[in-house]
Amino acid sequence: MRRLEICPAEDLPPGEMRRVEVPGGAPIAVYHTASGFHATADTCSHALASLTDGDLEDEEVLCPVHWARFDVRTGEPQCFPATVALAVYRVEVVGGVVTVLHNEEEEEVA
Amino acid sequence: MNTASAVDISRLVDTEEGWVDRSIYWDPDLYAQELEQIFARCWLFLAHESQLAKPGDYVTTTMGQDRVIVTRKRDGEIGAFLNSCPHRGNVVCHAEAGNTRGFVCNYHGWSFGLDGALVGMHEQAAFDRSPGFDRTKLGLTPVAQVATYKGLVFGTFDPGAPSLAEYFGDFTYYLDVLLDNDEGGTEFLPGCISSVLNCNWKVAAENFAGDALHAGWTHDSGARAMLGKGVASVVDGESYQANVNGHCWEFNLDLLGNAATLGDRAILRYLREREPAMAERLGPTRARMVGSMASVNVFPNFSFLPGQNTFRVWQPRGPQQIELQTWVLVNRNAPQEIKDAYRKGVMMTFAPAGVFEMDDGENWEYATRANDGVVTRRQRLYYGLGLGTATTHPDLPGNLYRGQVNDANQRAFLGRWAELMQADSWDRVTS
Amino acid sequence: MSALETLALHHEISGFLYREARLLDEERYDDWLALFTEDAHYWVPGVTNRQRRDPIGSIRPEQMAFFDDNLQDLSRRVARYNAETAWAEDPATRHFHLVANIEVEDIAAGDIATGDIAAGDTDDGAGEYVVHSVLLNYRNRHRDEQDVLTARRRDVLRRTGDGLRIVRRKAVLGQSLLLSKNINTFL
Repeated sequence: MRRLEICPAEDLPPGEMRRVEVPGGAPIAVYHTASGFHATADTCSHALASLTDGDLEDEEVLCPVHWARFDVRTGEPQCFPATVALAVYRVEVVGGVVTVLHNEEEEEVA
Repeated sequence: MNTASAVDISRLVDTEEGWVDRSIYWDPDLYAQELEQIFARCWLFLAHESQLAKPGDYVTTTMGQDRVIVTRKRDGEIGAFLNSCPHRGNVVCHAEAGNTRGFVCNYHGWSFGLDGALVGMHEQAAFDRSPGFDRTKLGLTPVAQVATYKGLVFGTFDPGAPSLAEYFGDFTYYLDVLLDNDEGGTEFLPGCISSVLNCNWKVAAENFAGDALHAGWTHDSGARAMLGKGVASVVDGESYQANVNGHCWEFNLDLLGNAATLGDRAILRYLREREPAMAERLGPTRARMVGSMASVNVFPNFSFLPGQNTFRVWQPRGPQQIELQTWVLVNRNAPQEIKDAYRKGVMMTFAPAGVFEMDDGENWEYATRANDGVVTRRQRLYYGLGLGTATTHPDLPGNLYRGQVNDANQRAFLGRWAELMQADSWDRVTS
Repeated sequence: MSALETLALHHEISGFLYREARLLDEERYDDWLALFTEDAHYWVPGVTNRQRRDPIGSIRPEQMAFFDDNLQDLSRRVARYNAETAWAEDPATRHFHLVANIEVEDIAAGDIATGDIAAGDTDDGAGEYVVHSVLLNYRNRHRDEQDVLTARRRDVLRRTGDGLRIVRRKAVLGQSLLLSKNINTFL
């Protein structure tokens, strides 16, 4: 388990997302929605696009390539063409800093 | 560029004495050459900016027979691209209009942004492993130049074509009559009515370029329907034909001649009340042209009627077929009831069920189809009306001719056509 | 409404539409105009190909149409047909209007199976009927011109002292690009 400090919470206002490079791992997308902070794999499970190049709409992220939609809270695909869920990561705000709890094993399973 | 020509084009159009060889209306080889020499090189009408109000808005159309997508990109600029996937060639957008994030080809899921760039595809990893695969080189082919003039969007496939401003030259003086008679500019009303006519595209284009003559005869029935009487004679009033670079405007200075045929007094009141403001903006001469008995063709195939405000493209579909696309232009600041009146008036007059257009279509089809006969094909057509009527006017630029009942503009249109058909470079086209 | 009354109403309305079709086939346009009420609206919208997800849809009232006519507009179109100089009507076109798939819904009886009574159709619905039908129009002109148009129609008919009359017609063409040079008839 690694703790990745992303940014001060005020730097990621609601409705925004950001891509985070993970040394030795796949990039992560961190989202701030009405329900709080969330994180998933940044790479679309369908066609390898970076989801943070797409759009965040309510609790869903839209892939910029084929407009697959994923629920950022669960990683579950919501429509064609995606069929495989995104890996999800726990996010905590510690001392005002958005922090992702990165579990490499979980990522491999996903 | 294809400049191979089996026939001497210069012999087909005699603008000095006014004779035209009929082969230009039926010959498939000439038609193929037109697609190269005219439609792959000239500036062609694509859309009105009001159809592309916000990022993601798009329309699909054709330039010649090439399918194109016209988009409002995320940066607010207008883009135009071939509507054909660089992978297997499939059409990537079948809708005529809409708003989207991009375009995904149905065949293999190649996905393109609003700027035409390839952003990804189905089974992308397999492509990424292929030596030499370069996503950045596989976007939708852009239209070489895209530019706007006062709300109207044009494109050309020719990177060497002159700028749109040079292409229009002094014709913008005339275009402003409709595009700039109000500070709010113009818009297209929603929707496009399109139909198929079995005629050569030039038969329609030259009619709008300069055939005021047909109005009083062809459209007698339509005028009786809308005005309760036939079309007034235009021989005696002050009227002209003007052309610049093959772009043609024939007109009266009667302010309301065309507008009256829409059959709605509110439109006439609107134009009369606005005449002083229009005169302030355009000068008194052009103010008298806004709704006057007139017709226009922007070379090669974009036509409109002042007053009736029908805007249309004669899309070539072969030597004997066109697809006609029509829209209605209004001033953006016009009251809603005036916009509605134009919408309804155009439907009544210049639409497939319109009281004027029906008789045009019948004539244009048989002016084209009569040339099926091999002996008929050998008979030249007379275009000599109004030879020797060149004139000048302190307000009116371009090549000007006295009297709108005249073949001067049609000779100029066909002269420009012949020039472009022969010229292998824009340097050899006069302006 | 009893089954017999329903049957009789359907029979009456079918006969009305068949007669209307024959008037058009025979170019009896003035008789055809008389089938409309003073407040009639006759609409043949333009059809745009749009993605299914597009909320704008393929037809809408503010969009360009082939017809968006009141009675005066229809009268003007008829005036052209009646003019000797309507060149595109001479020699005459041969018209065939085939009406089928007629469904009758009695507004007052609340018998609106499709639930699509439009706002402003009627005040109280008494004596008014929503009638669905499909139209197949075949035209033949000169020697070799032929055109086929289809339309799905939704009419509102009203029972008046002179019999049934058309208050409203919406006829949606089966084509977006009209595959003909004109529509020199009514649908």
